[in-house]
Amino acid sequence: MTLNLNPLIVLLIFPGGLFLIMAGLAYEYLDRKLVARFQNRIGPRWFQPLADLLKLLSKEEITPLGVQRGLFYLLPLFALASALTAALYVPMAGLLPAYAFQGDLIVTIYLLSVLTLSMGLAGACTVDRFALVGATRTLTQLFSYEAPFMLALLGPAIAAQTWQIRSINEYASQNLWLLIAQPIGFLVALVGLMGKLELPPFDAPEAETEIVAGALTEYSGRGLALFRLSKDIELVIGLTLVAAFYLGGIHSPLDFLVKTVGLLLVVALLQTLFARLRIDQVVGLWWRIGTILAVIQLIAIVLGRYVGNLIF
Amino acid sequence: MSQEVMQEDLLRQALDAIRSWIRAEKTPQPNRVDVVIDREDLLTVVETLRRIQWGYLSAITGLDHPVTEPAEGESAQEGHVEVLYHFCEKDKVLTLRVSVPYSDAVLPSICGILPSATLFERELSEMFGVRIEGTPDTSRLLLPDNWPEGVYPLRKAFTGFPEAKEGSDE
Amino acid sequence: MSEKFVIPIGPQHPALKEPSHFEIFVDGEEVINATLRLGYVHRGIEKGAEQRTWTQNLYLMERICGICSHVHALAFAQGVEALAGVQAPPRARAIRQLVAELERLHSHLLWLGVAAHEAGFDALFMYSWRDRETVMDLLELLSGNRVNYSANLLGGVKFDVTPDQKVRILDGVSFLEERVQYYLNVVNSDETFLGRTRGVGVLSREEAERLGAVGPTARASGVPRDVRVDVPYAAYTEFPVRMVLSQQGDLQARFVVRLEELFESIRVIREILNNLPESELTARMPRRIPAGEVISRVEAPRGELFYFIVSNGSDKPERVKVRTPSLANWGTVLATAPGHKLADIPMLVAGIDPCFSCNDRTVVVKTVR
Repeated sequence: MTLNLNPLIVLLIFPGGLFLIMAGLAYEYLDRKLVARFQNRIGPRWFQPLADLLKLLSKEEITPLGVQRGLFYLLPLFALASALTAALYVPMAGLLPAYAFQGDLIVTIYLLSVLTLSMGLAGACTVDRFALVGATRTLTQLFSYEAPFMLALLGPAIAAQTWQIRSINEYASQNLWLLIAQPIGFLVALVGLMGKLELPPFDAPEAETEIVAGALTEYSGRGLALFRLSKDIELVIGLTLVAAFYLGGIHSPLDFLVKTVGLLLVVALLQTLFARLRIDQVVGLWWRIGTILAVIQLIAIVLGRYVGNLIF
Repeated sequence: MSQEVMQEDLLRQALDAIRSWIRAEKTPQPNRVDVVIDREDLLTVVETLRRIQWGYLSAITGLDHPVTEPAEGESAQEGHVEVLYHFCEKDKVLTLRVSVPYSDAVLPSICGILPSATLFERELSEMFGVRIEGTPDTSRLLLPDNWPEGVYPLRKAFTGFPEAKEGSDE
Repeated sequence: MSEKFVIPIGPQHPALKEPSHFEIFVDGEEVINATLRLGYVHRGIEKGAEQRTWTQNLYLMERICGICSHVHALAFAQGVEALAGVQAPPRARAIRQLVAELERLHSHLLWLGVAAHEAGFDALFMYSWRDRETVMDLLELLSGNRVNYSANLLGGVKFDVTPDQKVRILDGVSFLEERVQYYLNVVNSDETFLGRTRGVGVLSREEAERLGAVGPTARASGVPRDVRVDVPYAAYTEFPVRMVLSQQGDLQARFVVRLEELFESIRVIREILNNLPESELTARMPRRIPAGEVISRVEAPRGELFYFIVSNGSDKPERVKVRTPSLANWGTVLATAPGHKLADIPMLVAGIDPCFSCNDRTVVVKTVR
């Protein structure tokens, strides 16, 4: 682990801070625009996500009755901080990760879960009924996709025999695309990412037709803006991770752009294809199908390596 | 076809079943029969219709008959509300007419026999001030929460609130 | 969560773009009870009708509902005609039926979109509403209005169908026939969508009959109840429709029944346009309507619409009672809700295609003079 000479730059400008925020907004725009076009709508203008963010930031933040104030204000910060930190270990924009150490994959996944966890807690610390139901759903969903999603990211790790994202990225770019070698793992990872981001059809935790905005119903102004920003950043990090692991690694900005946008296209298409799943259907889907598929993939990799070792 | 014969006999079938409770009967349209029954018999009649599987409750209509100037040779009649239970079967409509006076505007609920009647009954009781005994929920269904008690908008006597007449919104 | 929870839905809620208030009692995600409160948009139309002349009332009735405005005016006009002993000329009756079926097309497509949105299937929502524009345009072409077509007069209709309009309507419904077929396939084959509709909100035939369900809700449960078939009005004797039934009784059946009804509507629209009888458009109506009572029933897109009109022989009605299909169908929602997941409630509510403005009409909040 080398000490970066400019940790401030790393944290505030690239790959953390400013760059991530801009990238997050750009990817949110792309996602919204693509979904809109798939649905035969016109969709937002290019600066719409930024405009939304600025507007929310400038709005009054209402503190609802009955919340634990400290928690209510801290949770959005937790969420954003964990999302920004997670970016440090990921090959953002095709450049080398800012930091790397053995086991940073686990830390990254953990940090991404902290985001979801703080959203769940944010809902649970209010007394609003929609938020409470939304929080329950958010956490339920967390427990259902987390295991298969992790298993799906472990596949490449086992193949590369390292827990370091940078090394896995290198391994992936030197070998056959893992998308072909581990198609089931890729599928589970991609769909798991959609579950993580609460995108349709996994948007039961924020199903507007039932529980308004789910866990974030009571949030307004700055808190809501920060949560939304964290989710945008999570989108970028998630896409980068999946692209790095399964799409033959990322080693240049162009590579990054093409692969993540390509992945986003697929994600957007999947969002428009399905009706929303009920929360019990989500849990059933992940535990009955997702986990089993991921485990099968893992067993196949382990067996494959074992057999491969025997041959060579 | 036998079904067509059946259709012709539909009204007869219903009338035969409830014959003993009918106080008066008329046929305002070819496919309709109106029968006047007593309030005490309402439940029995509805139950009978239900037992012979005749029709479904299409609507409950209230008609307000306020106190009228007595015509020559007649005594003044008390204002009353006439409640009409419309049962439809195919193209036939059987209407049960029950009258209740203002002073004793109470009707038994038919929800025990036809649960769907409750919304119609609640509408009726709010609009015409007929108290329905035994309907599962008597909270306000249609009128605003701040609507005064004892004001029944569809009675002829109601012509609006004084302040509303001046054109103000509230 | 072992606590009993009350989830309020409405009168302001993103799920329900119309004002009504449900209280859903839930235990965790499971619904144990539901209650209903209506009346947030009461306009006092039944009372208002007593202060207006017969002709004025025709326009008032048309404004009970924005989606099914034509059937309200139709039911009223037919009731008044029956009181006056006048029959509308054959061409007028055919045009009335034509507009009614076009309205059914637009109403069912609107409903399809709303129901898809409730299921979180926004792609279907957007597509069905895009295609619905076709029929809205056709209605505008015919009447000059996208909603509130104002087709009816007492004793006839206001506009004729020109040969040019005929061609464009035929083109339009051919396009829609294709699209409806496509949506029917989606509804029947999309696994995630079926996961939200199949076996959800099952209403058995006995229940549907006991609860007095009407329209597509009843027909999806196998209850043969369709006013167009039972009591043919307008030109339904000359251009009959087939009743679409399903025995399943679940939400999927309600989708299928409504969409398949559209094929019948399209077929009848073609038949009417190709065999439009030649006659006058209006019959003479007396100013004063003879005293009497009449029941007028028509099949609105949502089910049986029931009008009870009392005339006292003057130029104003003594009483107009309107029972809209939504009111008759509410019971089915409240009865089927317990035992379902909270996520199914918006779907169940949408399943009967509720029309709130139809429900709310009887209170005078402000007397209009």
